[in-house]
Amino acid sequence: MKKALLLLLVIALLPAGALAQDMPHAGAEVVTTFMQSGTYDVGAEQLEPGFEEMTGIELEIVASPFVVLVQNHITDLATGTGEFDVISGDFWIGSVWDQMHPLDDLIERDMWEANIIPGLMLPGPSGYFDGKRIGIPYSADAYGLIYRTDIFEEAGISADWETWDEFFEALDALETHLEGTDIAPNVFAFGAYEQTPAIFLGMYDGYLVDAEGNYALDHDKAVAALNQMKSLLDYNPEGATGLSIDEANSVFLTGKAATMICWVSFVRADAQNPDASLVVDNWATAPFPGPGFPFLSAWNMFISGYSENPDAAWEWIKHYINEEEAKRRFVELGVGSPFLSTYEDPELIEQYGHDFPNMVYNLNRAESVPWIFAAFEIFFRHMGEFVVGAVDVETMLANTLADWSELEVPEGLVQSAAAQGQMQEG
Amino acid sequence: MSRFSGAKRAHSSWHRRHDLPWLVLFVIPAFVIVVAVQFYPLAYSAFLSVQDWVLTESQVPKGFVGLDNFAKELSDEIFRRSVRNSVLITAGALVLEMFLGVCLAYLTMGSSWRMRSIRTLLILPMVIAPVAAGTLWRILLNSRAGLVNHLLSYIGIKGPEWLASPDWAIVSVILLDTWQWTPFVLLVVGAAIASIPDDLLEVAAIDGASRWKTFLYVELPLLMPLLLLTLVFRMLESLLSLDSIYSLTNGGPGFSTYTLTYYIYTLGLRSFDFGGAAASSWLFMIFATFSIGLVFWYQRKDW
Repeated sequence: MKKALLLLLVIALLPAGALAQDMPHAGAEVVTTFMQSGTYDVGAEQLEPGFEEMTGIELEIVASPFVVLVQNHITDLATGTGEFDVISGDFWIGSVWDQMHPLDDLIERDMWEANIIPGLMLPGPSGYFDGKRIGIPYSADAYGLIYRTDIFEEAGISADWETWDEFFEALDALETHLEGTDIAPNVFAFGAYEQTPAIFLGMYDGYLVDAEGNYALDHDKAVAALNQMKSLLDYNPEGATGLSIDEANSVFLTGKAATMICWVSFVRADAQNPDASLVVDNWATAPFPGPGFPFLSAWNMFISGYSENPDAAWEWIKHYINEEEAKRRFVELGVGSPFLSTYEDPELIEQYGHDFPNMVYNLNRAESVPWIFAAFEIFFRHMGEFVVGAVDVETMLANTLADWSELEVPEGLVQSAAAQGQMQEG
Repeated sequence: MSRFSGAKRAHSSWHRRHDLPWLVLFVIPAFVIVVAVQFYPLAYSAFLSVQDWVLTESQVPKGFVGLDNFAKELSDEIFRRSVRNSVLITAGALVLEMFLGVCLAYLTMGSSWRMRSIRTLLILPMVIAPVAAGTLWRILLNSRAGLVNHLLSYIGIKGPEWLASPDWAIVSVILLDTWQWTPFVLLVVGAAIASIPDDLLEVAAIDGASRWKTFLYVELPLLMPLLLLTLVFRMLESLLSLDSIYSLTNGGPGFSTYTLTYYIYTLGLRSFDFGGAAASSWLFMIFATFSIGLVFWYQRKDW
């Protein structure tokens, strides 16, 4: 009788044992955050039911507008609240990178590999703290430059510039070619002043953090870059200082500009949509000029150091960041993929041949910045004053440096600046 | 004094003594809630205002700094500019709102269905969420494709860069505030006009007073206490305005449309400088209290 009961017990427990083996984290709860953008968050919502069924982990997706997202993360991690397990972020939350869970052991344990664009796996684009990986990029977009292939062909200009000086030569040639038309040589969303640092960073090749670890700029190089940036207005349509991102995109899509400096992912889908664009098949992505770098937007996934379920959180990261999903999100939602395979996919190359080669080139050169949100805001606000002519370049720089002197550069971002060569030598 | 009134007083005194514990008991919950909801945050912000605490640098306040935060804010150029902008926007909007509100109230007097319909239409802007109103005006004021510049072009005027010029951006904020809140003045003044006794107006008419003199010497003095109260309400609302500026100009270009509220918001919730934000909030409170006190002082005048 006893033996029979024991046998029954074993039989009864077998499925539970198998379940425990298949679903080691069943019942765990993971709270994951995303920016509310209709892209990254929607991609996560699409995966949620399958992930929960496969792992038994209860997933809660918290999507918030960008500014709220930053506030939530900083207050959550700085106060040790531990509300979120998996955190979406970038350099904006560099001040709390020391509160993140290192991922190296988890990666090694699971022998997790990802064919991510090499440049994106380096410190800066990827979250690192004290030499340990804390973040993995799940999206990638580099500031880019797109141009009208038909106009360039007519004018006999090739888009093979390497420097801004060469790009300005092309703009001069375009200006001559387009004389008498209502097409501007260039358009940029100067009215979205938080975007202006992207051009500055492309034109500036000095340090962003001084040797003592404070926010700083190389004066002469900064002045040259700022003046060059402002001279771009001469090639823009009238009223460019008031253009938002959507308005600048619209200028290009309606054929009223020969080149545009932009986030390519914001315009890619519309540019190829005949209902939204007059330039279908007549545009391509060009190399982003130097000597600076293309500004990188690479959302990373981090695990909070206060997470009670870091293993379950890691399961979600692996589920969300993989080649197949990145390709799907690229195709369906327009999210820039960090995976090399997306840009090597024959089917996609056929569709995006005008875009991919220079997109990958730009992504490989792209860098993150060591600015916390306050540092970024100080810079773009003062830059806005300069762009609309309220202050001269020297005043703008002096004001920026004065305001920056009140801020501390978080250790994680000092390390990021050092790793990317953005720190003053000496 | 009658025996009856003496007995009544003794009775009510007994009641007061007898009811006192019950009164205290009933008042305590409300008192606790008021203290918790109102005084605790105030006291905590007063504590923060004398602390050095930037959340991105430290999890807890770094220590007591006396009045340093106040001194720092008062010497900060952006803070001072925010105060200037707040004064400019509030004063500009208030003048326009009070003037237009009173004019519209007189123009739409009456209880015919036509007047009631017009009044209903006129108060619509007030019921739109400020964020939505800001976004709407952002589109209207777009210098390239906005309706405002398009209409101006019909009469041969080249519209300005409303949101890209520091000066015009301030004008845009004033316009938005005026558009949205003039209906409030219209509503209040309209109700006040309707409550003026007809006798007074008839006496003025019998005395041969012109319409203008009747308004100036009869109606305006009667309306004045309510106008001043409306002014206080609007002043506070305008000073506290954040969401409409956020969606219309986002404080820009540069710092051009930073108001005190916007400045405190960026300092506290974007830069996480809790000490500085708390000190600025107290300075804001002092500034607002002084401004409102000035209006109340003026209200004491016998109109």
